[in-house]
Amino acid sequence: MLELQRNVVFGQFVDTGSVVHRVDARVKIAAAALCIVASFLIDDLLGFGLALALVVGIQALSRIPLGFFLRGSAFFFGFLVFILVFQVLFYTGEASGYLWRWGILSVSAEGLYTAGVLGLRVVFLYYITTLLMLTTSLVDLTNGLELLLSPLQKIRVPVNELVLVFVIAVKFVPIFIEEMERLARAQTARGVPFDEGGAVTRARRLGRLLVPIFINGFARADTLTTAMHTRSYRGGRNRTKLRVMKAGPPDWLALALVTAWMLAAWQL
Amino acid sequence: MSGTPILELRDFRYTYLEGTPKANEAVRGVSLEIQPGERVAIVGPTRSGKSTVVDSFAHLLRLKPGQVFFEGEDVAAPGYDRGALRRKVGIVFQQPETQIVEDVVGADVAFGPTSAGSPAEETRGRVEESLDGVGLPYRDFRLRYVYALSGGQRRRVAIAGVLAMRTPVLVLDEPTAGLDPRGRRELLDLLGRLADDRKLTLVVCSASLQDASLLCDRVVVLDEGRVVMDGPLREVLRRDEDLVRLDITLPEPIAAARELRHLFPDLPEDLTTEDDLERELVQRLGTP
Repeated sequence: MLELQRNVVFGQFVDTGSVVHRVDARVKIAAAALCIVASFLIDDLLGFGLALALVVGIQALSRIPLGFFLRGSAFFFGFLVFILVFQVLFYTGEASGYLWRWGILSVSAEGLYTAGVLGLRVVFLYYITTLLMLTTSLVDLTNGLELLLSPLQKIRVPVNELVLVFVIAVKFVPIFIEEMERLARAQTARGVPFDEGGAVTRARRLGRLLVPIFINGFARADTLTTAMHTRSYRGGRNRTKLRVMKAGPPDWLALALVTAWMLAAWQL
Repeated sequence: MSGTPILELRDFRYTYLEGTPKANEAVRGVSLEIQPGERVAIVGPTRSGKSTVVDSFAHLLRLKPGQVFFEGEDVAAPGYDRGALRRKVGIVFQQPETQIVEDVVGADVAFGPTSAGSPAEETRGRVEESLDGVGLPYRDFRLRYVYALSGGQRRRVAIAGVLAMRTPVLVLDEPTAGLDPRGRRELLDLLGRLADDRKLTLVVCSASLQDASLLCDRVVVLDEGRVVMDGPLREVLRRDEDLVRLDITLPEPIAAARELRHLFPDLPEDLTTEDDLERELVQRLGTP
């Protein structure tokens, strides 16, 4: 059967109560942002190797099973490989020598290298954001983002509303996944076999789910809006927090460590 | 019990998302035999595993071999024809609206028979019969858009879609949830009539014995993924204390009798219909 929750790890939160889960959300968001910036500065394989080693270490600390993470990323990695193949074949930069050439298609050492670096960069970005979401509950993520971005409120950026939109978007991913699974099951029972046939037939059958998913999505959004109105939502004005975030020395130490590591990966 | 059961579960266990940090054990060893023509209610509180059991009947889960059998055959055996199974076991889900696959009412009801290869003329007949049966006159409704219907009407379309497949086994998960009293009565009448006429095997899943008691003569009670009671309706109803403790809604006459027992301690425990209750009360009050 269609089991997307087993196969899509992006956006899920898995609470193992590890050290990584307990780090202040603001520190985690800042560290993730730092890594994202670093990923644009680093441009060699060694640097990415070092950067990835840190993230693998964090993953081990977080006690999120690696197998679960990898299986849940198979779709993503497959797609990435597909794109990188094009990147290699259509490489247009300076090439010192070609390993293989046919018309406009070619494979060169330089092409392979740039594709490799690009691939590592994307994997790194994906890894870091997925890990952030796996280890931070949505409430913490929201509060952390709001607090980090709160200085922008002085120049009239509607931080609270923007964060809310982001959170709703993220929160709807698992809901849609669950809904798709339910629809697939219900339709299978009526004779649309989602669990049989080749990849193309299966993909075409998924198309049948799109219309009801969209319609339900709009209905859900309407309900959510009404619910927020009835509970007097009026943005972040005059709102106080029940749980005040406090970052202690260990949190700052973690951030400093990530910063130092990324600097090293960049300069190496 | 005699003969091959039409549906059988042998120590059926199921864990959702097995092998991930979110694994969730829903069914912990359910054994169950359903004979052809039986009318069985599967009742239990929320999270008792009812819906998982229902899904297993049509192989809608990742099943391991040796657990679920249809007419004596293991449905999880390699090479087993799942399509054929699903043409024999019709399931109406908790939210039947999700089962609708086409935009137009008539086309949707025709979907099952058509994909099973039934000829156009016969399909037309089945669609007409099923739609009329659920109280949506064929002539008025066959060309209506599904998305323009009300919730209750959509539910009936979905039920008609399953009825049109003429499956020998009909499984309904909370069939009357969200229906108004009249819609509920009509649906129960229809199901009872169909089961009689077509000698259907009927499985009704619910958290309440109210509807099930009108349709079924055997009750299986689940709790936390295990069978805790299994027997004829009247026998199960006699254990009303246990049922209440499991948070299972009792049929109205039984619930009323429980209250009235303060006044008449000798009221019997197995009054399934309002008429039974009335008769017993009249007896005790003495005819005027």
